[in-house]
Amino acid sequence: MRRRLAALIAATAVVAALAVLLGYGIRTGQPDAARAAGPVTELRSAPAPPLTGTTLDGRSFDLTRLRGQVVLVNVWASWCDPCRQELPALAAAQRRWSGRGFAVVALGVRDTTESARRLLTDLGVTGLTTVTDPHGTTAVAWGTRGVPETFLVDRQGVVRVWARGAVDTAWLQRRVTPLLAS
Amino acid sequence: MKRRLVGFTGSLVLAAGAAAAVWRSVPPDQPSARDLAAQLVCPACQGETVAQSASPMAAAMRATIAQQLATGHTGQQIRQYFVDRYGAGILADPAAGGLGAVLWVVPVLVLAALAVLVWRSRRRPADPGPLAATGPARTWRRAWDVLAVAVVALVAAVAVASPREPGGPAAATAADPTVITLAVGRSLEEQGRYAEAADVYRDALDQQPDDRLRRRLAFALLRAGRLVEAEAVAARVLDDDPGDPDALLLLGLAQRASGSPKAAATLRRFLRQAPDHPAAAEVRRLLGDR
Repeated sequence: MRRRLAALIAATAVVAALAVLLGYGIRTGQPDAARAAGPVTELRSAPAPPLTGTTLDGRSFDLTRLRGQVVLVNVWASWCDPCRQELPALAAAQRRWSGRGFAVVALGVRDTTESARRLLTDLGVTGLTTVTDPHGTTAVAWGTRGVPETFLVDRQGVVRVWARGAVDTAWLQRRVTPLLAS
Repeated sequence: MKRRLVGFTGSLVLAAGAAAAVWRSVPPDQPSARDLAAQLVCPACQGETVAQSASPMAAAMRATIAQQLATGHTGQQIRQYFVDRYGAGILADPAAGGLGAVLWVVPVLVLAALAVLVWRSRRRPADPGPLAATGPARTWRRAWDVLAVAVVALVAAVAVASPREPGGPAAATAADPTVITLAVGRSLEEQGRYAEAADVYRDALDQQPDDRLRRRLAFALLRAGRLVEAEAVAARVLDDDPGDPDALLLLGLAQRASGSPKAAATLRRFLRQAPDHPAAAEVRRLLGDR
């Protein structure tokens, strides 16, 4: 009798715990407004994948030639709205830190040369090295999940920081300067 | 005894035969691009595989799969390429080892437990007799029944309370990848981005041949000024259905824009097929029929 009662109580407790867990899961599964405010940032430590291709002005590009510099690789597209916000900040960062060994490489994903050029002209962004990735295969090689995404590569060619979502001046200041100092 | 032995041996032979058949039916690791895309979860979407999604990142992943298959990579190598970059969560099916094994083992254990319960309950009536189901035993059984109903109610509550995908009832139609592609393409067309819309349609056509996509592709190409391509795509639709009015109209307009002498004949064929088409009056005007 007692064993039966214990089994019944245990089973009821398990069902109740399951209900609480599911309720919690459903609540935390909802989009979090606070989370959407800034880019999701993750520290990494993995060699940068190869990045070669042709730039918007028709020159060939190879990331390994920038070894010794801190490189910000930004994955963008003209059809991506948040990319419009961050491109001017990236161009300003390049102007500001280029003397300290900093370069920005914009990887234009699944875009036409024409649309990419038009957006940069509209935004008044100049001087960014923009590598074209018409099929998006280079972005996939970098593990890109969506646009915009930003990777910070240190002077040894190791990816140190990854961010998903538009980055801004404050983010750049916080993440780039420690790498420039190292 | 002898009959039992024969029966046992027979069952063993049959089981071995079935196992061999299953083993032989497992395909070699040379899946198609579409099979592989269906095995990967689109990282930019919710609950869609790379094969289903119309998002540009899913298209980029399909291009990667095609590129790797063309260079001789096996299915396993390609899956590993994505796992290395996106983690094990990119696989639509849980991994066979590690934590993923739990997801395979639990259903098997549950089925085994159910089988044992059924087997025991079938044996039980022979033992105690009908009196067992009276008095306190009945109360216990009721208590367990209430608990079982609570579990079912819990599952139902979760099903009802779970957040729905945006669009609600439209989700059923949205599950058709062609419908999604058409929506994405139309939105690009509305912004006047015809070349990009054409890329979206072409990409989707690589995955799933569909004349609805071909008609939109021909239209986008026509508006983008890529007349030769527009003609070829419209002609392809006419291969499937020689009387398709939209394809005839698009072919005729593309031929007319490129100065082809066949344009008038094609547009007249269009008018014969669909004299009440919304574009018919404009086509008559172009042909100088009124």
